[in-house]
Amino acid sequence: MITVKQLEHEFRIGKKGKETIVPVLRDVNLTVNAGEIVAVVGRSGSGKSTLLNLISGYIAPVQGKIMINGTDVTGMSEGEWADFRLENIGFIFQSFQLIPTMTAFENVQLPLVFKGVKEVDRKIQTETMLKKVGLWEFKDHYPGELSGGQQQRVSIARALIVHPPLILADEPTGSLDSENERALLSFIQQLNREENITFLIITHDEEVANIAHRKITISDGRLVEGSDTDEI
Amino acid sequence: MRFKDRLAFVLSNMKKNRMRVFMTVLASTMGCAFLIVLASVGFGVQKTAVEDITGGRLLTQIDTFTTSEEKPFIKKDIDMMKEIDHVKAVTSRQRIQNEGNVSLDGYSKDLFEVFVPDFKDEQKAGLELSKGRFPQAANEVVVGYHYGENLSKVQKNKKEITYKASLYHKTLTLTIKQKEGKKTKKKTIALKVVGVGEKPPKRVQEGQELFLTKDVLQTIEAFTKTPKGMSKSDIDPKHPQPYNTYDDVKVYADDAENVESIEKELKKKEYVASSRLDSLKEINFVFLFIKIGLIVVGTVAVLIASIGIFNTMTMAVTERTQDIGIMKAIGAHPRSIKQIFLLESVIIGGLGAVLGTIISYLFSFAANALLPVIISTFFQTKVPDDFYFSYIPLSLPLISFAICFGVTLLSGMRPARRATKIDVLRALRRDV
Repeated sequence: MITVKQLEHEFRIGKKGKETIVPVLRDVNLTVNAGEIVAVVGRSGSGKSTLLNLISGYIAPVQGKIMINGTDVTGMSEGEWADFRLENIGFIFQSFQLIPTMTAFENVQLPLVFKGVKEVDRKIQTETMLKKVGLWEFKDHYPGELSGGQQQRVSIARALIVHPPLILADEPTGSLDSENERALLSFIQQLNREENITFLIITHDEEVANIAHRKITISDGRLVEGSDTDEI
Repeated sequence: MRFKDRLAFVLSNMKKNRMRVFMTVLASTMGCAFLIVLASVGFGVQKTAVEDITGGRLLTQIDTFTTSEEKPFIKKDIDMMKEIDHVKAVTSRQRIQNEGNVSLDGYSKDLFEVFVPDFKDEQKAGLELSKGRFPQAANEVVVGYHYGENLSKVQKNKKEITYKASLYHKTLTLTIKQKEGKKTKKKTIALKVVGVGEKPPKRVQEGQELFLTKDVLQTIEAFTKTPKGMSKSDIDPKHPQPYNTYDDVKVYADDAENVESIEKELKKKEYVASSRLDSLKEINFVFLFIKIGLIVVGTVAVLIASIGIFNTMTMAVTERTQDIGIMKAIGAHPRSIKQIFLLESVIIGGLGAVLGTIISYLFSFAANALLPVIISTFFQTKVPDDFYFSYIPLSLPLISFAICFGVTLLSGMRPARRATKIDVLRALRRDV
């Protein structure tokens, strides 16, 4: 599903001409197979979020190649990335990233709006998805009127609405209490099992890492030798 | 993303910032209205001036003269003019030049504006009657619409009064005078009014004519033994005046576009020709500059309004940075985001332009209706009839709409582009 080859990235800090180059990722090679749950773990500042941002297309790598679902996404333009994301990737964020002025229903149907799906079809699909995450009765609630766990479920519903084969999750349980965390993790496992969705999860939480089929450790911008073979 | 969804997005965003959107629409409304109203004053004054020049008469009319008084128009000239391409009609009038008068029931008038036309040519050129018909018998005449106003008499109290009743079917008495030595001979001819001309436009000194038949002219000339009833004392014996000459010759083109070519042809044949089109061209040229000036000033107002739109849209983008970031993060195309913001500025500008146009029409209507009343009440000055303080031709709101729309689109362009450039990670406030 994901193939990363000799990926390198760096940040330039300071004024133009007097920049300091800070390497963030060095020679990262990674493969995520379809139907896998892979957890990327590492200390804060190790480069794991940067890896996710590169795979998400939010930033472009300095060097290397990224293939997702058989497509080389390395040199894609912003517009091409937008279309690709809509078709192939669902996103789950630590702080949910719901639009506060939209109801749960409107937030969930947003990717369908971007895809140009007809209103009638959107309504059916959104209803199905909200029922699936158990939030149909909260459809008219704004994010501010929902608990953290409910907001994360809305965010998952939004990620799943276009039926992507891959979901990228950045610290998905970071804002949840232990009860909601357990519920979310079991939902991720269920989705993986029943719908064969591939998950790449960035986390520093051991409990999250424990549901993964494989755990990859990043340290100082490099994959720790042999870490990606850990079968859980 | 469908247009309907983009529109729904925009309307929902506008609803959330009602007051700001209202103020921006108000600014663009004022800008657009200012532009139209300002230019409408130019158009209004131009319309008034143009109507003064044309007097509502045909723009296809060409006044024609000979190069010298000693070489008056004769029938051959008229026939030649009729042969010119695109000439619809040529009217030729002979003016009665006699010291006599026309009288009716004690009212009288000098022989001023008394013509002998060719009625067929006059009809062909567009002379119409408000009442009656054209002469069929020798002593039948047609009078101009205002002819009666100049028939006057002095009362015992030395106050002069004019004839108020209709002249239609009345019998006028034409008195022709001729000096024979020290004596003055007189001849009277009874003329029956069988037709009254159309009412001419208000500000034009027309409609004062008396049209006689050629038979009456012959009677006059037979009596005075001079052409057109001229006084013998006015004729220099060394230069005797010829008969059958024409004093007032007008050529009518079949279309205004052909006036210029006919004029050229007449000048080539050594006549003096002038049409209202010449004066009109000059005045239109002057007013073109005035209108351009006014539109430029008005456009400044629109530009000021556009600063409001720019501000509003920039604020909207700044406020919605996080929303835009989320949208981009989950797959919104930058083009869709740009279109959403452009659509918002276009709606604001479009609303302003439509409201501005409506307000301008109301203002124009009110100005034309109320200003004459206000001026005559407070300044004791009467505004001439049909004076336009403001006039909005269809082209003006179209130009203004295009300017408002264009300026709005341009002012919304940069904020919209900025929206597409929003960095997803910064917008999501994520650590990289």
